[in-house]
Amino acid sequence: MLWIALELPAFPLQIAERAGACADALVISEGPAQRPLVVCANAAAHECGIREGQAVAAAKALASELRVVPRDEAVERATLQRLAAWAAQFTPMVSIEAHGIVLEVESSLRLFDGHARLTSAIRQGARDLGFQATLGIAPTPLAARLFARAEARGLAVRSCMTGEHLAERVADLPLFLLDWPAKTLAHLADLGVLRMKDVLALPGDGLARRFGAPVLLDRERLMGRVADPRVPYQPPPRFRSRIELPAEADGVEALLFPLRRMLNELEGALRGRGSGVQQIAVTLEHGRSRRTRLDLDFASPERETDFILAIAREKLGRLVLPAATCAIVVSADALLPYAPRSAAWLPGPAETAIDRERLVERLAARLGRDRVFGIAVGDDHRPEKETGVRPAFPLAAPAGALSGNAGLTPVSKRPIWLLNRPQKLVTRQGQPAYLGELALEAGPERIEAGWWDGEEVCRDYYVATNPAGEAFWIFREHRDAQAWYLHGVFS
Amino acid sequence: MSSVTPANAGAHFQRASVAELAKLPGVWRGGELENVVHATVPTGHAALDRELPGGGWPMGTLAEVLHEGVGQGEVSFLSSALTRAAGDDRLVAWIHPPYMPYAPALESLAVPLERMLVVRPSSREDALWAAEQAMRSGACGAVLLWLEGARRARAGGRREDEYASLRRLQMAAESGRCMAVYFRPLAAEKLSTPAHLRVALKREGTSLEVRIPKRRGPPLVLPLAIEAGWRRSFPVPPAQLLPSHSTPKPERTPVLSIVR
Repeated sequence: MLWIALELPAFPLQIAERAGACADALVISEGPAQRPLVVCANAAAHECGIREGQAVAAAKALASELRVVPRDEAVERATLQRLAAWAAQFTPMVSIEAHGIVLEVESSLRLFDGHARLTSAIRQGARDLGFQATLGIAPTPLAARLFARAEARGLAVRSCMTGEHLAERVADLPLFLLDWPAKTLAHLADLGVLRMKDVLALPGDGLARRFGAPVLLDRERLMGRVADPRVPYQPPPRFRSRIELPAEADGVEALLFPLRRMLNELEGALRGRGSGVQQIAVTLEHGRSRRTRLDLDFASPERETDFILAIAREKLGRLVLPAATCAIVVSADALLPYAPRSAAWLPGPAETAIDRERLVERLAARLGRDRVFGIAVGDDHRPEKETGVRPAFPLAAPAGALSGNAGLTPVSKRPIWLLNRPQKLVTRQGQPAYLGELALEAGPERIEAGWWDGEEVCRDYYVATNPAGEAFWIFREHRDAQAWYLHGVFS
Repeated sequence: MSSVTPANAGAHFQRASVAELAKLPGVWRGGELENVVHATVPTGHAALDRELPGGGWPMGTLAEVLHEGVGQGEVSFLSSALTRAAGDDRLVAWIHPPYMPYAPALESLAVPLERMLVVRPSSREDALWAAEQAMRSGACGAVLLWLEGARRARAGGRREDEYASLRRLQMAAESGRCMAVYFRPLAAEKLSTPAHLRVALKREGTSLEVRIPKRRGPPLVLPLAIEAGWRRSFPVPPAQLLPSHSTPKPERTPVLSIVR
């Protein structure tokens, strides 16, 4: 077994600053309402002299423009759960700890090409989500956590891959990195037991008698002498993430950065489940009650951040926001099976089909779905019903399936452009004219149809040219011998 | 005197290197057609293919078709090239066409209907954007673009703007290996263009007169006549005006009378 622990130092502060670092002093408060204390403070607050453990009132005296965010444990828990869901892309065994997660990675090492690449992938991934995480790698979860915490405090750590080096590698680490009760730690310090090597030298039965069985069990689990089973976290079959912006954002560009972080989170969670999403709802919150909802729909399940973000960017660009945005929510309800795509060097038919789909989606996202379409032959002799608009979704339908009865029309004179509705032509001495007098070149072709559905047409179609050489498709309505109409253009 | 003196070395060297240079890909003398093989598709008109560098309509570059009016046969003369470009399951995108493309006509020109993608953007900016996306994506074998009548979303500089956006399209067509055709009025011949090919069409009687004001080589000033348009595919007898139905029909005369 090989475990990687991810620790998130100053976690509440990281959540508050996830959508972008706050330039002003910011503290997280906790404790009773009458005397809240500072739990975490950002760099600007540290510069003002604010320290963790101070009363918020004292901190406010030090920095006049102090922003105080009360700690919300429910949000912390939910964020950790999403982080665990995201980490499921690396291994199925992810378990949630106090301020981080632990991952069992031995079985994933081959897939990710060794522990060095795996840890750097996890590190980079966590950074893309907007978290500053420290990593520890060890044969037991508790030892991995110990290493991660030591790294968070800037202590020199050598990661440890096998059990035999564990005792030597943990030897110099201070005891306060463990989750033991403060009373136990103080008592041990009084005895001169300050480092791991001192604890390891103590006899087990004596340790249990003086400090309780849990302390001994912890030590044995850390050293891998007693099994330390974990329950893997099972993420729910839906996704919801919310980010509060550090300052109200007016434009759309400012939303893309936090949105990318959330979509990264979504992508990781989807990779872990082997799924994709076809519908994503992005909700922008403006103040208390007003919100703007943006729906992203895809032709097939998707999960790649870059692609989803490109679609979202086009859609956001078309939105007119009623007010400045203060929070973003991304949610997806149906997680569908995802067919992975191969990144071939020479694109084959499958890749071309994906390119095609993505092009249509991108165009429809910006221009609107009704402005991007295909065309098809209709099953009717009336020219206006012989052509049809066919939705561009799904575009990748097999050839021939869309044309209901292709080949109904014998090959004959048909113009490339058809007018939406016939345009009445002026006549001079009974001769039609359009940009000059029209000369009939070919025809007539009589089309009589539609008597069965009330939209009867009885027309004689001709090809006609004007003096400029433009060729048109015109017809004469039978009911009114004088009426000529322009219906198409031979382009 | 066979030795090269310092005085004539420059000229000697120059002559030699010009001949060398002309062998480089992408370099040609002003009076000749470019000899490098670019990806092209045959247009179906042998006379036109002979005059186009590479022996066909270029893929991977922007080309302009200049024409007056909309009924000159300016699309149908490219139909065979479009059919070829739509091979390999690639799309043909019609961006901001002046009217709706008529499915039965395209079908009779053997253009694969299921790969047609019609885009009707609401503004000129959107049309240019859509064209660029379609060209760059690699999913389109051909992109046909019209900008006449597209309103501008913003009032702005005209000519420089135009050149820059066409330049973008040229780059996009190159990267997507796509046959990009921009249809514009004849008046645009005076404007400079980043497109590598410019073809001007004029209807002359029953044939289509083609000039090539710009290509990779000398401009073709003497027009070619090609058969294109509705007449090419359907040779028909001259029209005769049929009497209309609405003329009062003669009284029906009984065919059978029963004599008792």
